[in-house]
Amino acid sequence: MGATARARNQGPAVASSSNRTGSRKRAGSIAWSKGDSGAAWLLIGPLLLLFGISVVYPLIETIRLSFFDIRGMAPARFNGIGNYFALMRDENFRHSLLATLQWTLASTILAVGIGWLLAMVCSLAPRRTLPFRVLIFAAYGVSEAVSGFMWLGIYRPDTAGMLNALLGAVGLGSLAHPWLGDANTAMWAVIVAYVWTQVGLPLMMCFASIQSIPASLIEAAHIDGASPAAALRHIVMPLSLPGARVATFITLLASLKAFDLIFILTGGGPVRSTETVGYFMYRESMQNFKLGYGAASTVVLLAAVLLVSVPAIIKRTEQAK
Amino acid sequence: MLLGAASIMCVIAGAHGAQAEDVTGKLVIIDWLGGSEADMMHKLEADFASRHPGLVFKEIIPQTSGDIRGGIRQVLMGGEQADVLIDTWPSFRKELVASSLIQPIDKIWADNNLDSKLGKSWKALATIGDHNYGVTYTFGDRSEIWYKTSTLEKAGVTPPKTWDEFVASFKPLRANGVVPMSVSAKVWAHAAWFESMLLRTSGAKVMRKLIAHEIPWTDDAVKAVFKKWAGLLKAGCCNDSNTMMALNWDNSADAVLKAGTAAYDMFGMSLNTRAEKQYGMVPGKDYSLFQFPSMGMGHDDESMVDSKELNLLSTAQNPGAVGAFMAYMVSKDAAAIMAKYGMPSPSTAADISLYDPVVQKAVEAVSSAKDVEFVLGDQLPADLTSEYRVQMQKFLIDPSDANIDKITAAIEAVAAGAY
Repeated sequence: MGATARARNQGPAVASSSNRTGSRKRAGSIAWSKGDSGAAWLLIGPLLLLFGISVVYPLIETIRLSFFDIRGMAPARFNGIGNYFALMRDENFRHSLLATLQWTLASTILAVGIGWLLAMVCSLAPRRTLPFRVLIFAAYGVSEAVSGFMWLGIYRPDTAGMLNALLGAVGLGSLAHPWLGDANTAMWAVIVAYVWTQVGLPLMMCFASIQSIPASLIEAAHIDGASPAAALRHIVMPLSLPGARVATFITLLASLKAFDLIFILTGGGPVRSTETVGYFMYRESMQNFKLGYGAASTVVLLAAVLLVSVPAIIKRTEQAK
Repeated sequence: MLLGAASIMCVIAGAHGAQAEDVTGKLVIIDWLGGSEADMMHKLEADFASRHPGLVFKEIIPQTSGDIRGGIRQVLMGGEQADVLIDTWPSFRKELVASSLIQPIDKIWADNNLDSKLGKSWKALATIGDHNYGVTYTFGDRSEIWYKTSTLEKAGVTPPKTWDEFVASFKPLRANGVVPMSVSAKVWAHAAWFESMLLRTSGAKVMRKLIAHEIPWTDDAVKAVFKKWAGLLKAGCCNDSNTMMALNWDNSADAVLKAGTAAYDMFGMSLNTRAEKQYGMVPGKDYSLFQFPSMGMGHDDESMVDSKELNLLSTAQNPGAVGAFMAYMVSKDAAAIMAKYGMPSPSTAADISLYDPVVQKAVEAVSSAKDVEFVLGDQLPADLTSEYRVQMQKFLIDPSDANIDKITAAIEAVAAGAY
């Protein structure tokens, strides 16, 4: 049997091994008695309380607010589902949905794609690429606000802007452009900045996945005459897919919530071209002071996040069983 | 002689009357100021407290990103007790009055004879209905255009006084590789140019009607301003629209006052502090300002301002101290402290000679104006302000007559539902 064929068979083999481990764990697990439930509640109680205060209560309150018409500090008026109808009619909100789709898909595909690719490259020489990986992952640890100010300096339209100055220095001055001021380039400029901040996570997750591939498989492929490209395609890529999948899930959810970078780089502009649902929510709630309307858009965003995350969580849970 | 003695007695009695207020305990102030303005406020508080040993200041600092009014709302709606609020938005003041969160200060005004310190225009700015709600303690000339002296000198341009001179200066500036007007349209600063043109073409009265939505945004007066601006664009006033929309106010300040790559900037008096403290420039020598050029349409002697005022909160537990603090803030001593920070005081007691030449110019322009109006953007309902700034960006992309009709209609559509 060729190495690639063995690699293909590796999946089920690992799964059945994991099932066996699971069975052993269940067989050896501690049996809970009724008397233990009090202690269990005592242990889990503070966590549940914290969860209730920090997640459940704000969530319920946001949903409640979305049914009210609140303008500034004027008394709230019950508006039923009026805010939701108004949202559907609001051209700016519809535009923000499209912008969110573009933002989320592009940033996730680029961050995971680049991270995965870099992970494969780094796995060729894990020790020598350690400083490189640390540097890239460090960007993930930098707050979006800080990176925002850094990228603001890079994209400045005048001579102080690093990108335009760099283009000029290499003889490509004609390509210099006010990247954040053009409605056609602003979104992509912010996406590039965002991908820079996010690529560290997929890199580390995919790298860890690749490192868990038995070296014997790669060696066998080499002995069988598989080219490095074939080994990459038929062994490394499929076996590091679980890491890439988790990275995609996390990056996708993070991108749906992204706000700081857009706030600092473009403020949703020019002419609302970078206004995602998250930014729309901020503008309506905190700039236009229409709290109920902003809350309704938050609920829509929440529904979108749940739509993406719940099926994935259910699937992962089923796999865990 | 008798009259003189009597007036001295009156002054002493008046001063005594003000001093008779109970100025002890805790004075809680909602202070959201930052940078040198915050330093100035702390200095003023310390000076006031030194005159009233039984008084202690407590500051509540609203926390928010972006528009600070969100943070102030959280403080007020969260039930935090405070005595006085620093306010700079007339539309916000209206909202606070409508929600009964601030109270009239007519008694404080009368007890402290503030009519003798603040002119009618300042009183009118803070008056809603029959009541006064604010004591203005500092202001900014917003009809001013900033320039770097060497930039104009190199191009052989003298600060223009008339519209024609202003437009004519574009050619020599361009010939020197200088962009005449640095319009930062990323967030809001582009609106300053529109508002000043509106003031010169239609005057403060029309501005007030527009603010109150007594005339629509599709009115010819509004369209005329956009057409005037379109003429400027055609004359080569500015960067291309994409560059304008990439510029924030600080980029324009850098371009005009520091780098000298652009000639004219409109922003507000805080540029004075920036030029002096950050760029190390000498006011009046290295940089200065001139008033928005006259257009000969009957409104050349009108001014646009912004200001900061103190409001008495409904939750105030120390109104006596608030009254005394409000009176202090328009005193000669407070004005002297503000002058050190490059901030003018509207008080008649202020010693103008303490100001640097740039602030002096601004103060003279505002005090000699026949009519004064607050900046338009800060007086509109919040959602209308947002829309008006975005539509103005669309205008910069396409300044055609057809687009002017389109954008004024879009602003009007939002205005119709905003009041």
